[in-house]
Amino acid sequence: MAVRSMLCVAAVALLWSGGASAHLDGDVASVQADAAALYGLTHATALLSYDVQQIDTAAGLTVREFVARDGTVFALSWTGPVLPDMRQLLGQHFGDYTAALAALDQPGLRRSVRIALPGLVVESGGHLRAYSGRAYLPARVPDGVSLSELR
Amino acid sequence: MGRKSQIGTALLASLLGACVGGNGTTAAGKMAPPVLNTTTLTVDAGPSAGGGATNHAYVTVKVCQHASTQCASIDHVLLDTASWGLRLVGSVLAAHSVALAPERDSSNRGIEECVTFGAGQTWGPVALADVTLAGETATNLPVQIMDDSGAGAPPPATCGANGTLINSVSGFNANGVLGVGVFAQDCGAACTTASTPLPLYYGCSSGTAGVCTAENMPLDMQVTNPVAMFAADNNGIIVDLPNLQNANGDATVQGSLLFGLDTQTDNALPAGLTVLGTNASGDFTATYNGGTTLLPSWIDSGSDAYDFDDSTIATCPGPTFVGYYCPANAPLPLFAVNTGNGANNASSTVQFAVADPRSFVSGAAALIDLAGGAGSSNFIWGMPYFYGRKIFVGIEQRTAGAYTGPYFAY
Repeated sequence: MAVRSMLCVAAVALLWSGGASAHLDGDVASVQADAAALYGLTHATALLSYDVQQIDTAAGLTVREFVARDGTVFALSWTGPVLPDMRQLLGQHFGDYTAALAALDQPGLRRSVRIALPGLVVESGGHLRAYSGRAYLPARVPDGVSLSELR
Repeated sequence: MGRKSQIGTALLASLLGACVGGNGTTAAGKMAPPVLNTTTLTVDAGPSAGGGATNHAYVTVKVCQHASTQCASIDHVLLDTASWGLRLVGSVLAAHSVALAPERDSSNRGIEECVTFGAGQTWGPVALADVTLAGETATNLPVQIMDDSGAGAPPPATCGANGTLINSVSGFNANGVLGVGVFAQDCGAACTTASTPLPLYYGCSSGTAGVCTAENMPLDMQVTNPVAMFAADNNGIIVDLPNLQNANGDATVQGSLLFGLDTQTDNALPAGLTVLGTNASGDFTATYNGGTTLLPSWIDSGSDAYDFDDSTIATCPGPTFVGYYCPANAPLPLFAVNTGNGANNASSTVQFAVADPRSFVSGAAALIDLAGGAGSSNFIWGMPYFYGRKIFVGIEQRTAGAYTGPYFAY
């Protein structure tokens, strides 16, 4: 399993306040745009059937983007003291996500949520000070890749 | 807005110890009698404006404009051991004619907050209140008013986009949320000096067209756990709920919320207590059913169910209990191993079970062994864990007996 790493530091605006162009379904360049947006450091890990681009920020947010061999992001995960900007991360899938959330109709304080649509799964949970979750495109997960890897 | 010292707590404890059995005086001289440190905890269907709650534990909170007689007793405030600070629905306060003074930043802008609770987010101003539970009062306490009237500045684009905006009684099945977990403030140091402020606290220009920008917030201005601000009994709480009577659900259950740990005769730490220290996020770790993955875990009266991922358990087909487990052979016996962080690193195996919620009678508010959470990357000991137990919550940097918070214990 070859591991290469690259470092990238840049600045625009925070990912969680929007501004960059990376998202689920985006390309590798979009990951670097995310890192720039996050004031983050990225390092890449090449695995058998995909690459993991991890972005770490001083504020404690970590976003991992899973890039398939065709160069597109098929999954991403996050941990941090606040939720990342879901509009930013989900890109064109954001509308489906919010519509599904609104349709949940589960009142009360709830600490984990799972949205499972035919083309999109979002799992999000946690509490103040510690949120985590992931989103993936089920049809785009490479053959032989276990969902448990996508964290 | 100072923090009460642990020395003060220890001194109080020793004084109280000295006068047990006496008439409120000691050889050292007169002292105040112990304050009432217990309030009623009720699990029921919730406020009438809600949708019929299950496994929600409620308290009544007295809220006053600071140093004023303008007060209201707000019932059906949800007890939450996994958040920090009091949040009240704005229209409920308004209906009681209680107007709280808004907290303002150094630029004299109003301070507003966006908080994520799972699938939902709250938005609204931070205001100052005198908050009383039992005989304990937190003075000039920063609380959040969940703005369901749209009277203030609109939320920024990310608030209500990451999750559905839930500010109302029907959104929460409660008139407010009382966060009494292991920390004093809801954000802590992460919100004080960040080079780019977290999108939690905002300074807002006034009016319904007000513009909000994220900003850092000093600890003493953050929304704060009222227990940490009490004059005494400020080192933690005990949640004491009885066992349920019916396997198919109880209409209502009553228990107690006690303030202080090892400060009065009724809140002593028992021998054999399992003390699970938490990390800076408020979590200990759990492994589930013999697995090796270390899951962030916490004890959570704000969650109505055990919450964990197990793809081998059938999820409910709907239309009721969507998102919960409906195991084929209920009750399904399971176990998890909890391990504390830091000095309080106890390890404990807990047996529990998952019921088929379709067996619960309609209208029951207290449900044993309710579980859900497919896809979760945490292990949450929600309300079913509280029935028949005393749960102890120790606040960060406060000491009780041999233990210093933050921790959960049972």
